Amino acid sequence: MALLQIAEPGQSPLPHENKRAVGIDLGTTNSLVATLRGGRAKVLPDAQGQEMLPSVVNYSNSDQILVGDAARALASQHPSDTLASVKRYMGRGREEVLADASRSRYELADDDEGMVKFLTAAGPVSPVQASAEILHALVSRAVETLDGDIEGAVITVPAYFDEAQRQATKDAAVIAGIPVLRLLSEPTAAAVAYGLDAGEEGVIAVYDLGGGTFDISILRLHRGVFEVLATGGDTQLGGDDFDAAISQWVLESCADATLEAGAYRELLARSRMAKEQLSYREQVEINLDSIVSAPDSLLLTRELFEQLIRPLVKRTLRSCRRALRDAQLDADAVENVVMVGGSTRLPLVREAVADFFSREPLVDIDPDKVVALGAAIQADILVGNRPEGDLLLLDVLPLSLGIETMGGLVEKVIPRNTTIPVARAQEFTTYKDGQTALAVHVVQGEREMVADSRSLARFELRGIPPMVAGAAKIKVTYQVDADGLLNVTAQEESTGAKSSITVKPSFGLADEEIAGMLKDSYSFASQDKFARQLAEQQVSAAQLIDGLEVALSADGDALLDAQERQVLEGKMNDLRALVDGSDLDSLRTSAEQLGRASEDFAARRMDKSIKQALSGVALDELAQGVDE
Amino acid sequence: MSNSDFKKNYFELFDLPVQFALDSNTVGERFRLLQQQFHPDRFAGTSEQEQRIAVQYSALVNQAYTTLRNPLHRSLYLLELAGMTQQDVAAQKVDGGFLMEQLELREKLETIDTMVDPETFLDHLLQEIAADIKSHQAEFEQAYQAQEIEVAAMACVKMQYLEKLLQEAEQIESTWLD
Repeated sequence: MALLQIAEPGQSPLPHENKRAVGIDLGTTNSLVATLRGGRAKVLPDAQGQEMLPSVVNYSNSDQILVGDAARALASQHPSDTLASVKRYMGRGREEVLADASRSRYELADDDEGMVKFLTAAGPVSPVQASAEILHALVSRAVETLDGDIEGAVITVPAYFDEAQRQATKDAAVIAGIPVLRLLSEPTAAAVAYGLDAGEEGVIAVYDLGGGTFDISILRLHRGVFEVLATGGDTQLGGDDFDAAISQWVLESCADATLEAGAYRELLARSRMAKEQLSYREQVEINLDSIVSAPDSLLLTRELFEQLIRPLVKRTLRSCRRALRDAQLDADAVENVVMVGGSTRLPLVREAVADFFSREPLVDIDPDKVVALGAAIQADILVGNRPEGDLLLLDVLPLSLGIETMGGLVEKVIPRNTTIPVARAQEFTTYKDGQTALAVHVVQGEREMVADSRSLARFELRGIPPMVAGAAKIKVTYQVDADGLLNVTAQEESTGAKSSITVKPSFGLADEEIAGMLKDSYSFASQDKFARQLAEQQVSAAQLIDGLEVALSADGDALLDAQERQVLEGKMNDLRALVDGSDLDSLRTSAEQLGRASEDFAARRMDKSIKQALSGVALDELAQGVDE
Repeated sequence: MSNSDFKKNYFELFDLPVQFALDSNTVGERFRLLQQQFHPDRFAGTSEQEQRIAVQYSALVNQAYTTLRNPLHRSLYLLELAGMTQQDVAAQKVDGGFLMEQLELREKLETIDTMVDPETFLDHLLQEIAADIKSHQAEFEQAYQAQEIEVAAMACVKMQYLEKLLQEAEQIESTWLD
């Protein structure tokens, strides 16, 4: 599309062919890939007809990393090399996951800095790398099935994922060599899948209980716009915890309460089987052969099972209540409840949800697939395969973003459930005479003390001119993009001294780490990095020139004076001269210069479009001269 | 970004008259219409620069929507347009009678756990606060229309007091629910 060119509804500025895009549900337990075929979203199966790829990666042999069923088959044999549920560890530090890791019998690398790493036979592995393996396997499947390269992917994340977890997910895609069109909240994806199929209007609640996470989202669909009103949840609660509750009960009922890693993993697997069977049976016999010395088996009734998991289900309803309050709605304002995630198959969960919202939840679309299907629809829209105005998703920030102030207190800069993208600025000042630097500590969460919040990043603004305390004016701006990723800028007003960072969460991967992983990874192994960068830069420069040409012929006369136009055209010619060459640095500089030079023009066009957009509907007010 | 008036006035951005009263349906419609055009998703696959501008515009539209649809934010914004900063508003003196009422309401809230039927009591209290807020909104609207900015600011301060109280009352309710 051309530079901020606004097409008439139903008209596309350029003729285009259908592009291939996929939606990926990167789940805790299973992952799926879907795409649009013949106008309908479909999950793509592997060569054996399997749609779900178990989110398990085995690192027993560094030359042959296994993903999916093949990896899962090795779980009891090589428990510490076989990584399952890595999503729970994304963007987390060692200290935070110790309990979880010991429950899963993983061995963790010792360093306390940065994101947790698992010790495997193939060396230390971060959850981001393991996720990249899963993503790579899914995209390979899509490339084979669709017989061609993928333009990009929409990858889903739990709505409640914080900054660090979102960034980790995006990093995994970069390592796997997948262009990310958008990170999309899982419940929103599910609502899209339902909304488009049923043509629903009104308020929808999405209750998403997966293997490792719980999400609740309240959305309103109105004339093709999905507005997320509120979202909440728990990133550390899911079906895995139900399995663990059963295993715990088994161990408490047996004499030998401690197990080796392999035996415990086997017990978890059998607990999961028992749980699944209890969805349609009243009781089930859990075979304990080769796990504990005695007894041989235990009988678990549905009633007892429900007693074990009831506190966990109750926890989910508490989140529902808070989300409704944030959306300023009562439970009875919700017209439809959509169920997502395998754990919503449990009768107790369905009953509790139906009871809470006083209506039967929708279960028409397979709860395991609905997220991937919705993501595929959104991917299709984002690559431009659908006419404009078809569907728009307005998502919210899941957790409040704040800044540390004196005394270890958190000052909220952007409250949770604010619609994104969003930019907010706050002014600060110096507290000591002659202070020349200011430390900015970015935190996320709802608590009032920094110590109780998640630390996202720290950076320093330097070069503040020495003044008396309280005289300097420092503007700190938080900007969150449509993916929910944060950018922070600090600027001293009088001198313009500026410092900014794209937040690299404390428990994220450093850029060098990603570069290192990229070097090792399949996606870049055979490719010359320089050639790739040059090609990317050429494409984006050509895009910029094309866009500007169209924009100039449409609005150049009306919005630019002769001199402005001359400057712009001069810079366009500079860039044209470089675009087919191989001088990467000059090309980049020239493109940046043209980009900056055209910014004001682009902004004026946006203003003009706003006027046009509203003039169609607001003739009455215009007539009253409000526009003056 | 250019310095067009559109970036200075949220009402103009939404093509609405600069006044306190507004139709929330219209605000919602305008909001969706603007986002349909300017959300970054509409510019997926375009150059980085275009996407960056789209993010800025979309954020501006979101900010305007947040401000306009909330009566308290809207009134503060109107005062800002009339040349009053938030500090100016906060410096307004409110009458002693109002402060006494606030103290009484707050006392009721603090001793709520000792009540025989705290839930019903809280329900009544919430209704009382909501009604008070409504009446101060009306006060604000009238004063603003008459261009009595100081009087409007005082009504706005009262709305702030009551909002804060409302939040505290809701927090108490949420501890019961959990």
